[in-house]
Amino acid sequence: MKYIFKIGGQAGAGIMSAGRLLILCFSRAGYNVLGYPEYPSLIRGGHNAVQVKVSEGEVRAPEPKHDMLIALNQDAITFHLPDLKEEGVVVYDEHLKCDKGYGVPFSKIAMEEGDVQMKNTVALGSALALVNYPFEIFENVLRDHFGGRKGEEVAERNIRAARRGYEYVKEKGWKHREIKPLSDKRKVIITGNQSIALGAIKAGMKFYAAYPMTPASSILHYLAKVERDFDIIVKQTEDEIAAINYALGASFAGVRSMVGTSGGGFSLMVETLGLAGLSETPLVVVVAQRVGPSTGMPTWTEQGDLRFVLHASQGEFPRAVLAPGDVKEAFLLSAEAHNIAEKYQMPVILLTDKFLSESVFSTEAFKEEVKLERGEVVRETAPQEGRWKRYAITESGISPRIFPGTPHGMHVATSYEHDESGFSSESFVMRVKQVDKRARKVEKLLEETPGPKVYGEGEIALITWGSTKLPSLEALEILKEKGKSAKVIHNTHIYPFNKKAFLEALGDATPIVVENNSTAQFAGYLREQCLIAPKAILRYDGRPFFAENIAEGVERIMKGEEIAVVKEQRDVEYYYPYRFR
Amino acid sequence: MSMEKGVSIGDFNVKEQTQWCPGCGDFAIVAALKGALAELGIKPHQTVIASGIGCSGKSPHYINTYGFEGLHGRALPLASGIKLANHKLTVIAMGGDGDGYGIGAGHFVHIMRRNYDITYIVHNNQIYGLTTGQASPTTQLNMKTKSTPYGVIELPFNPLSLAILGGATFVARAFAGDLPHTKEIIKAAIKHKGFALVDVLQPCVTFNKLNTYEYFRERCYKLEDHDKTDAKKALEKALEEVESGYKKLPIGIFYQVERETYEEKLPQLAKEALVEKKLETDISRALEKLM
Ligand SMILES: Cc1ncc(C[n+]2csc(CCOP(=O)(O)OP(=O)(O)O)c2C)c(N)n1
Ligand code: SF4
Repeated sequence: MKYIFKIGGQAGAGIMSAGRLLILCFSRAGYNVLGYPEYPSLIRGGHNAVQVKVSEGEVRAPEPKHDMLIALNQDAITFHLPDLKEEGVVVYDEHLKCDKGYGVPFSKIAMEEGDVQMKNTVALGSALALVNYPFEIFENVLRDHFGGRKGEEVAERNIRAARRGYEYVKEKGWKHREIKPLSDKRKVIITGNQSIALGAIKAGMKFYAAYPMTPASSILHYLAKVERDFDIIVKQTEDEIAAINYALGASFAGVRSMVGTSGGGFSLMVETLGLAGLSETPLVVVVAQRVGPSTGMPTWTEQGDLRFVLHASQGEFPRAVLAPGDVKEAFLLSAEAHNIAEKYQMPVILLTDKFLSESVFSTEAFKEEVKLERGEVVRETAPQEGRWKRYAITESGISPRIFPGTPHGMHVATSYEHDESGFSSESFVMRVKQVDKRARKVEKLLEETPGPKVYGEGEIALITWGSTKLPSLEALEILKEKGKSAKVIHNTHIYPFNKKAFLEALGDATPIVVENNSTAQFAGYLREQCLIAPKAILRYDGRPFFAENIAEGVERIMKGEEIAVVKEQRDVEYYYPYRFR
Repeated sequence: MSMEKGVSIGDFNVKEQTQWCPGCGDFAIVAALKGALAELGIKPHQTVIASGIGCSGKSPHYINTYGFEGLHGRALPLASGIKLANHKLTVIAMGGDGDGYGIGAGHFVHIMRRNYDITYIVHNNQIYGLTTGQASPTTQLNMKTKSTPYGVIELPFNPLSLAILGGATFVARAFAGDLPHTKEIIKAAIKHKGFALVDVLQPCVTFNKLNTYEYFRERCYKLEDHDKTDAKKALEKALEEVESGYKKLPIGIFYQVERETYEEKLPQLAKEALVEKKLETDISRALEKLM
C-alpha cells in the first residue's frame, strides 16, 4: 500500500499544519510517512503545498504524482491537478471550479463551527473519509495537537468541524481506495533539523547560538522550546557574526557549542571559522543550504554550497565537513561532529539542505549509543615557568586543551599565528611547525574517517552526498524494473575524504553523481580527490529530485550525455501565483 | 599595595616584553587592570580577558590570565559566550575605539540590553593605531588623518551617551594619564554586577597628535557630587564634551544602576555553571513527544 496526498492552498491557510496532522494520523497507525513542504518566501499572497506520502514500505523522497489532491483554493487546482494520477481523486472547497472529484463546503462548515481558519481541518476530515480511515485516529491527533497548547475548547471545535467534513463525504457515499490502520505502533516523526538538534543534545551540546535564517531556523525553534528541559542555553544573537563568536567563546570555556545558519549567515561567519581553525577551538557549524546566491530562493532546496564550505575563510586550516543524507544520519553525524570538533580541536561543518532539514520523516526512535569523546583535556596542572603550552608541538598534532578556571593553565588563544604558549609570533620556524602540527590533525582524523555506504550492486554507480541519497535509493527500484543494475554510493564524510574506500566501493562501475546544483561540485571534487571523471545528473530549480528524474537521467547518460539536467516541463510558481491566474 | 586574599599584582605579570610605543596610553590601562584585579583579590586563573584586534587588542598577552585575542570588532560576543559558558569567571572585554565603536558597534548596542556581568574597557585613542593612523569613529571633526587628508567631516561618536540610553548599568570614563584613578574606575567596574563600560581616553603618541596627554590634562576633570543613579544627569555630563566644544571632559563614573543580569535570569544557571553540567543526556522523552 502506498498513497500520496497533496494539500494545497493560500500561504497562511494552515497548509503546513494540515500536513503535520495528516502525517500523525498515519504515523500513529504503523505507517511510514514523509511530509514534504513547498512554500514561498512570503507570509501572505503566495501558494503553499505539502505532499504526504504514506506507505507500508520505506518512504524516502517526494513523488511527482499524487493519489489525492486536497484543494483549498483555485491555485491548488491549477497547480496540482495536472499531477494527479489518472485514477486519482480531488476533494476541494465547494465554491471552487474543478472538473473532477468532489466538492465539499470546507469554508462554510468551518464558518458555521465558528472559525473559517478551520477549513483545513474540515478538508482533512473529508480526505480521510474518502479513504475510509477511522475518524477516531484523527480525533485523537486533533485533541493532542490543540488540546495541550490552545485549550480543550479549540480542540473540540476542530473535532466537530472535522467530523462534519468526514460525515459529509460518507453521506454522499464518495470513496477512493481504502487505507486501513496497520497497528497501533507509533513512529517518531521528525525533521532533519530536529534530528540534528537531538543528535547535538545527545552528544552533550550545552550552548547553541543562531540568527534566524531559513532553512536553519527550525533548529533554533526546536532547541529554544526544549532549552529548559535539557538545561542548555540557546541564544538568538544580533547577527551571525555574534552567534559564531558566542559559540567560540563558550567552547573556549569548555562547553560543547554549535551554531546553525544558511549560506548568507555562513558568509558572515566565515572570518570566525578561520579563527576556530587557527585557535584550535572546537566548534560545530550547521549549514542548511538553500537556493543561492545571495537571498536566492530562500525556501527551496539546493546543494550549491559544497565548495564554499570546503574552502571558506582565508588561509589554510583543518576542518571537517559532514553531510547527512537522512534523519538517522542527521542525528548520528550531529553527535559525531561534536566528538570530532573536540578530539581534533577544529571546526566541523554539518552540511544539510532544505529538503532534509524541513521535511518530516517517520522513523523508529533513535536508540543508538552515542560516544562522548572529548579528546585531550587537562583538568589539573602544576605551576610552571611562563605560560601554559596550549599549542605544544606534538606528534599527533593535537595539543591538550585546558579550560579557564583551571589553576596554572593561563595562556592566550589568538587569531595571530603563535608560539606554543599562544603568544603571537612571526618566527619562520615556528610558523611552519604550527602549520604542520595543525595539518597532522587532519591526517589523524582521516585514519578514522569511514568510507561511503553502498546500497545494492551493479554496473552503474549513483554517487550521492546529502539528501540526494533518498531519491537515488528509490531510483534503484525503478532502474531494476527497467532491467538496469545499479548501486548507490552514499558519501557522508566529505572532508577529509577516504578516497581509498571510495574507489573500492566504486570498483569498475560507471560513476554518475546525483546532486542539486548546476556545476556538479561533488563530481569536480571526486575528480580532484580520486582522479576520476564522473558524469552527473543535476537539478537546480529548487526542488529535490524525484526518483523518476534520476532513472531518466541514467538513461540519458547511457545514451551519451555527460551531464543530464532535470527540467520541469510545466511551470508553476508559489511566490507569485498571480502569474498563472 | 594591598595583598587581599593572597593575590598580588606580580601574579599578573608575564615575562614577555610589552610592545607598545614608549609613552602609549595602553601601558597605563594594562597596569591599572592588573592593579584592580589584584586589589579585588581575583585570581589570575579565574579571569578571562577577551579582546579584539588593534594595538589595544594585544593587552591579554601582557597580563597573566586566561585570554583570547579574537577578531577585529568581536571581543564582546566572544566575551559573552565565555560568560554564559562559565559565569563564575571574571570576564573582561578589551579593544580599541575602531574595534568597539566601528566594526563592532552592532555588538556594543546589544550587549548593553542584555546586561551580562562583563567589564568592557575601551582604549579610546580616537584613531586607528595598528593600521597606522586612519580616522576612527571617535576622531574629532576636522582632524586630518591618513584616510581624511582634508579633515574628518563626520561627527564623532559619543559612546557614553549611547551607553546610558542603551541599557548599560555602569558607564564610566577614565584618562590613561591618571593611572590611580583609572585603576579605581576599573575596580568599581569589575565589582559592579552587570555590564560595565569603561571608556579610557588613551593618548596614541604616534598617530594622534591632537589628543595628547597635555590636551587631556587641560580638559579632564573628575566628577564630584554627581548623582550616578540619575540617567538624565548622567546624560548631561556625557554630553558636556560636545556642548563645551571639547573644552571640558569629565572623567569618573557617570552612571550606575542595579538591574538583574542576563545570567541571573536563566534558571539553567541557578545551580551550576554550564561548563559544570554533565554531558550524558537522555533524549527518550523528547522523542516520545514527537510521536
Ligand atoms: C575584518 C578586519 N578588517 C580590518 C582589519 C585591520 N585592522 C586591524 S586593527 C584595525 C583598527 C585599529 O584601530 P582600533 O580598533 O581603534 O585599535 P587601536 O589599534 O587604535 O588600539 C584595523 C582596521 C582587521 N584586522 N580585520
Ligand atoms: S600606535 Fe598608538 S596606540 Fe599603538 S602602540 Fe603606538 S602609541 Fe599606542
